[in-house]
Amino acid sequence: MTTRIARRLAALLGASMLAVSLPAAPPRVVAPWRVDPFPSTYRPLPRTDFLLTDAAILDGAGHRLDHGEILVRDGKIVQIAAQLPHPAGIRVIDAQGRWVTPGIIDVHTHNGTFVVPLTDIDKDSSDVSELDNPNVADTWIETAINVQDTGFSRALEGGVTTMQVLPGSSPIFGGRSVIVHPIAATHVAAMKVPGAPQGFKMACGENPKSQDADAHDIHGPTSRQGEIAFIREAFMAAQDYRDAWDRFAAGKAAAPPKRDLKLEALAGILAGDIRVNMHCYRSDDMATMLEVAHEFDFTIGSFHHAAEAYKIPALLRQAGTCAAVWGDWWGFKMEALDGVRANAALLDRAGVCVTMHSDSAITGQRLAIEAAKAGGAARALGIEVPPERMIRWVTSNPARVLGMADRIGTLAPGYDADLVIWSASPFSIYARADLVVIDGAVAYARAAPPPHSSSDFELGRIGAPRP
Amino acid sequence: MRLALVASLALAPLCSAASAEPIAILHARAWTMTAAAPIEDATILVDAGRIVSVVPAAAAPPGARVIDAGGRTVTPGLVDSATQLGLIEVSSAAATRDQSSEAHGIGAGFDIRSALNPNSALVALARADGVTGALSYPQSSEEAPFAGEAALLKLRAGDDIVDHGGAAVVVMIGGNKWPKDAGSRAAQWQMLRRALGKAADGGHAAGGHDHDHGRGDDGPPPGSDEAALGAVRAGRIPLAIFTDRESDIREAIRLAGDFAVPVVIMGGGEAWRAADALAAAHIPVVLDPQANMPSSFDALGNRLDAAAILQRAGVTIAFGMAGGPIEESYNSGLDLREGAGLAVANGLPYAEALRAITVNPHRLWGGGAGTLAAGEAADLVIWDGDPLEPSTNAAMVLIDGAPVPTDNRQRALEQRYLPLADPR
Repeated sequence: MTTRIARRLAALLGASMLAVSLPAAPPRVVAPWRVDPFPSTYRPLPRTDFLLTDAAILDGAGHRLDHGEILVRDGKIVQIAAQLPHPAGIRVIDAQGRWVTPGIIDVHTHNGTFVVPLTDIDKDSSDVSELDNPNVADTWIETAINVQDTGFSRALEGGVTTMQVLPGSSPIFGGRSVIVHPIAATHVAAMKVPGAPQGFKMACGENPKSQDADAHDIHGPTSRQGEIAFIREAFMAAQDYRDAWDRFAAGKAAAPPKRDLKLEALAGILAGDIRVNMHCYRSDDMATMLEVAHEFDFTIGSFHHAAEAYKIPALLRQAGTCAAVWGDWWGFKMEALDGVRANAALLDRAGVCVTMHSDSAITGQRLAIEAAKAGGAARALGIEVPPERMIRWVTSNPARVLGMADRIGTLAPGYDADLVIWSASPFSIYARADLVVIDGAVAYARAAPPPHSSSDFELGRIGAPRP
Repeated sequence: MRLALVASLALAPLCSAASAEPIAILHARAWTMTAAAPIEDATILVDAGRIVSVVPAAAAPPGARVIDAGGRTVTPGLVDSATQLGLIEVSSAAATRDQSSEAHGIGAGFDIRSALNPNSALVALARADGVTGALSYPQSSEEAPFAGEAALLKLRAGDDIVDHGGAAVVVMIGGNKWPKDAGSRAAQWQMLRRALGKAADGGHAAGGHDHDHGRGDDGPPPGSDEAALGAVRAGRIPLAIFTDRESDIREAIRLAGDFAVPVVIMGGGEAWRAADALAAAHIPVVLDPQANMPSSFDALGNRLDAAAILQRAGVTIAFGMAGGPIEESYNSGLDLREGAGLAVANGLPYAEALRAITVNPHRLWGGGAGTLAAGEAADLVIWDGDPLEPSTNAAMVLIDGAPVPTDNRQRALEQRYLPLADPR
């Protein structure tokens, strides 16, 4: 046991031994929250370089190219233009005039932890949230993911190339998220996007306080004000913890602080290394949380659900915080009463980073349709959102939420070749994803679905025929 | 006389039940649902709340109020075949939920009509989305396996949204549907059979298609469970059985035959596996067109082309409960259209998808024909695009021949905060 700790500490310190007594040459200290205990083993699917021709391109960055070509090499986009030189021998994929967009990105799923069919075990002890404590910052949702969730393959068939799996909203500090490609695997590590920033789930409002009020022995806040006090107390402790690591890293302390998985996660947020995905509905809840973030000098990456975000566009814009919203969910609980369909369009118009999210494996199959609903509601208000702008709500903006805007969500040179060929406008209900490419590899082709496009759960059972 | 009418109209609330003046909708792409294709450049003439005619390129008669559809699509008002509109306002607030009875002795005859709330914000939104009719169904009662009597709503503006009660007796059957009261689905079927066996032919449900409230003879008292089941036994109203598993679908077919009662399958996740048998037994299916995941062990067979398979086999299909509990009532119009469009994307002919949300629901629940045929109630919608596209809006909704208000809470909130969204 002692050896294991020593080995882990050595790894954390980036040194071969605990040579902290030699101030002349301090080892490079790696803060523990920067070490991923569950590294990715993802490898791109088999792939060949290709040239995509005759595509109607929405590039995710706000541009539209009605007849374009895209050159993909080694899983990356090399060039995109109306006409490209055709390298000899390269595989040509003729889009035949169809729409091509970046792969859809869903920043809010519970895939792998809210696995249908739900049974008694999910009622009694669901893996969506750890309920032991309102602060379960030490949990990593990837340690719960059942990769046989049919939600993954359904999402892929809907054009999703990257998704974030978040813990639920019952705890206040819900734990780490994981960012995955929805491909067949036997362990989530093989789906985990290498090099993706760490994400974290927090929640405010009705869910955490109800959870604790309903618990047999109350162990957390039962009011909004209690939640906020709880959050501030936790971040104060995390400040001390981060400072202790900073002192150690600067050689001003002889020993590192004792490992504490919860404080590490919160310290990572304060250090700007871990991105906060914050579940909030009401404008006042969001505004309060922005004040807390200001007090502790960190950025909330995104508010999720954000039913009333359209009431506070200036606050969100100033904070640089994105809003992840639904197309039409509203009303099912008190804090969702003021949800409106035009939410996304109103925020976008006001200059706020906005993204559609699903929270549901059914909705997640048609994320562009959620955008289309918001666009339709906006049209009734006299606001026209062109497709090259709307596509950002499900591509480059969610990439920004994940902290990956320089890598995915846009079709441009240097970006990962994650793209979709659609049978019709992606904002049409009749559209289906004909070809889904992840890292330059065909992950799904409607005409010839790849092996393993059904989950193991579906094998030997009734249902639509699937390979 | 005419002047007097106009004056009284001006003083009346914004939208009265039926327009006094004839209305001529010009240049419509009109899906009358009486033909396989729409009539282009149609003139739709409406008078006294009813359709007078739909003919190509006709001039408006003198005195008619003219509405120029400008080539836009017009359909009959949409009907959602499974909602809890008017019964539920905020799912998390028990005081706003009326879909379940916990009263002993009230089961098959649990009549939801007196709980329906015409002022619900959900009703106003549904109306704005082009829904003019909806089946509102009870969820459960203390008398397994019965949930109670569904009502067909007509979403008029004003204080009356009930077209008729007793549109169906709703039954819930499946795995763990009645853990305390029945347990095994076998017991659920036995309880249903026993109740049907005891019910004498000829009782009356709360309403029935003919608004008949009971005959006042020696039959069971109006509003009783026996009366509701008597109406089923007499073939006047269907049993609407919410069930998914193939074995249960086939048991429903057997029950329909054994008792010679009309049955509608609700949900029917695996109904496609019994498509031919359902067609032969003339049993319609109301589908959630978005269901394509194994949401329960009863519905492992959920698939997006279920509607297409059933329709091809000759089964009458309708759509409802689109999007599940979070959507089926909160966005009954938008998600109904999304679901119908999704069925088209998965093989259902377009006209059949339209039928599943216009004509077919009326075949199931009564209350008119759901067409733009002469003499039918003028419930219709002018769309600003393809009605099956979720990005399309209802530009104008007419119920009983008069435009109804389409303002709603969401629109009011959007308007209130729109100035904040001005670009920097």
